[in-house]
Amino acid sequence: MHAADDRDATNRAPLAAAGLVKRFGGVTAVAGVDLEVASGEVVGVIGPNGSGKSTLFNLIAGMLPLDEGRVWLDGREVTGLPAWRIARAGLARTFQIPSLFDNISVRDNLLAAAVEGDWKRAPQRADEVLALLEIGHVADNLASELSGGQQKLLEFGRVCMRDPRVVLLDEATAGVHPNIRRIMLEAIRRLREQGVTFLVIEHDMEMVREICDRIVVMDEGRIVVEGSFAAIADNVEVQRAYLGRQR
Amino acid sequence: MDLLLQALLNGILIGGILICLTIGFQLTFGVLHVIDFAVGGWVMLGGYAAYWASQLLGLDPFISIFLVFALFVAVGCAVGPLIYHVRTSRYARPDLMALAFTFGLFIMMRGGALWLWSFDSRSVDSWLSGHSLSLGPVTVPLLRLSAFAMALLLAVGLFVLLYRSRFGLAVRAVAQNRDHAGLMGVDVKRISAYVYGLYTGITASAGVLLATIYSVNPEVGVRYTLFAFFVAVLAGLGSVGGVLVAGLLLGLVESLVGTYVGTRYSLLVVFATLYLVLLVSPKGILQRGI
Amino acid sequence: MVSKRPRRSLLPVVAVVAGAAALAALPAFIDPYSLRIATGVLMWAGLACAWNIVGGYAGYISFGHSAFFGIGAYVTGILMQREVGLAFAATLPLGVLVAVAIAAAIGGPTLRLRGAYFAIATWAFAEMLMQLATVLDVTGGTGGLSLPAYLNEFFFFYVMLGVAAVVYVGAWFLLERTRFGYRLKALRDHEPAAEALGIHTTRVKVQAFALSAGITSLFGSIYAYWVTFIDPRSVMGPEITDQMVVMVLLGGLGTVWGPALGATVLWLTNRYIWSSFGDTVVYLPILGLLIALIVLFLPNGLISLLPGGRRGGGVLGRLWRKL
Repeated sequence: MHAADDRDATNRAPLAAAGLVKRFGGVTAVAGVDLEVASGEVVGVIGPNGSGKSTLFNLIAGMLPLDEGRVWLDGREVTGLPAWRIARAGLARTFQIPSLFDNISVRDNLLAAAVEGDWKRAPQRADEVLALLEIGHVADNLASELSGGQQKLLEFGRVCMRDPRVVLLDEATAGVHPNIRRIMLEAIRRLREQGVTFLVIEHDMEMVREICDRIVVMDEGRIVVEGSFAAIADNVEVQRAYLGRQR
Repeated sequence: MDLLLQALLNGILIGGILICLTIGFQLTFGVLHVIDFAVGGWVMLGGYAAYWASQLLGLDPFISIFLVFALFVAVGCAVGPLIYHVRTSRYARPDLMALAFTFGLFIMMRGGALWLWSFDSRSVDSWLSGHSLSLGPVTVPLLRLSAFAMALLLAVGLFVLLYRSRFGLAVRAVAQNRDHAGLMGVDVKRISAYVYGLYTGITASAGVLLATIYSVNPEVGVRYTLFAFFVAVLAGLGSVGGVLVAGLLLGLVESLVGTYVGTRYSLLVVFATLYLVLLVSPKGILQRGI
Repeated sequence: MVSKRPRRSLLPVVAVVAGAAALAALPAFIDPYSLRIATGVLMWAGLACAWNIVGGYAGYISFGHSAFFGIGAYVTGILMQREVGLAFAATLPLGVLVAVAIAAAIGGPTLRLRGAYFAIATWAFAEMLMQLATVLDVTGGTGGLSLPAYLNEFFFFYVMLGVAAVVYVGAWFLLERTRFGYRLKALRDHEPAAEALGIHTTRVKVQAFALSAGITSLFGSIYAYWVTFIDPRSVMGPEITDQMVVMVLLGGLGTVWGPALGATVLWLTNRYIWSSFGDTVVYLPILGLLIALIVLFLPNGLISLLPGGRRGGGVLGRLWRKL
């Protein structure tokens, strides 16, 4: 299952990472992570706070410089490229803290997500995404005027606008209304049917059980266990790493 | 060699005052997260206050400096809440709005001074003026030496206040984390106002010393804002300790350039250095926390 | 483009063209003194628009735009000296070229700085250039430079009018109708998110900075020929940047038309004070007070008080929408 073991698989997988390491001063936030995600697969990343999940995302997306390791998108190496290049190579992400363009309208937020893509079709796509995410009624409001859940939806909407190959979701449904979660799940399902690959950080175990094909558990910057939800739930090491520390 | 020694000595003596000029600015940045463009304006107003105290009340600047300090602490405590209000507002870009606000303050001070007191330079006399000590090859003007001592006294006083008092503890707590300090019962708004008052007081006092050594006119503010930025950027914005080194460094640079290259180039060199330091190492050359 | 909605119409272009046509008739009705004021309004409106591209749309507050104004003024001033003898029209593109080249060169490293650091850096850069102009020989140092006099107020009015109209139509189209505008607003509001969408933020910022510098330089060139005498303080002094900043804040940061509104109000105020008090010094404290008051009470500018104020672009709509 490890990327480093199988070169061919590494070269074809939508997302592959080998030996990722990131240190902040004396602290090693990510300590050698190997990862491979297949086409259309949804992989959940779980683990206690501070286990390196968000740092891992930032490394893959090129928002933090890697200390060691390599990253491939669709078999193309993107190690060390700036974030905007990695984005253009087919990666889209959301942020843990909503990071919308606060001072422009909801519709303009969606259009802004398409400036480096199919600009001609952008207005039409924006209308489709507004409908899909059921935020058409606030299309002309400023993004900063949305409720927390709507902001999460809009951030996901920007991802949809980009026709990504790989999507990183950082707590996309944390603390949102069940109704918004339902909309989000439906949207994820649709993208997945089109072969989009997902890597998701999620604390909500219900959500993890519902959408993830496979789960990797991180602790202290490493992947300690990976497997199906059922397998993970019974794993002693996970309970020690995850539940033992964060109750 | 004697020329070099003299230039170095002058640089150190002025550097001491630049420390005093920047230290409050740094504290303000650390606590309020505001770059105060008006810092040179406070220096200039302090100089004028000493001038009028000497003209109207016949006070020596080394006496009136205490009155000026008190006066500007009061003024700063009145202005501080406005800046705090802007900085913590829900505007789209509170940091830039606060910057613009102090920018406005600065124009107001400079324009007000020009309007009231015209372009003329005014000098402030002290009974120390004109006396000097001879130490081997170099002469030490008593005035500069005393001003240096006074500046260091103020700076040390601020350090003692910061690190040896309850108020100082609260200030440092706010500088570390505004929200947490607030949760722990520190009145952040009031602390911010006091810090701003302390800053304007100490900065205006530096202005008294500078006006006594040189002179004061409405245009000096720009120069001192530049100096404060220079020292602050070199030290790392918000770092109080780094100012000690960076202040002396600027004093030396200015003195050496003035002695060996020509005074008309000194501002050019200082501005150019500031710009380059920012590009190369925006977080400061001497990084250290508050 | 993004159709269906009325705000996507060409109305602003029609308005600018109609307004410019109406203004073109102005010289027939007013005295030469008022004409000079009108020319000044047009120049400041154009300058404010240029500053707003970086300050309002990219979200980078520049305190150094006087440098580019001065570059334009000095390029024209130097090249029109008898020894060189270039025609005025020929100096304009050269001034723009120099300003754009310098802006592009310093833009990369300078625009890596955020917020206050960027403001300090641009300020230091502009002051540095001003100091340079005072010590160089080619600029005439503090003694200044005289240009060949061309005393035709109509000429300068029409030149300013033409350039300002083109600048505004161009800015409106570029900032509110193209991808470039979306890129700028995205990076202004959240730079990491903009990058995560594939926007090459550094390049976009430098483009905006260079564009803004070029426009500023163009007005500097025209100004130099207009006033026929320039020195470091008059074309590179901090007051030039100060006014650009205040006009944009007053009119409405990050809107296309706010700067024109702010420039008109502020420049007329400036001239009124000048003619009633006899000197411009009292204008400075008023300018400073205005900035402070706008920040405290009208952060979205005058344009937010007008109906439809939202349309310009964004930062501003809130107040209007609340009413």
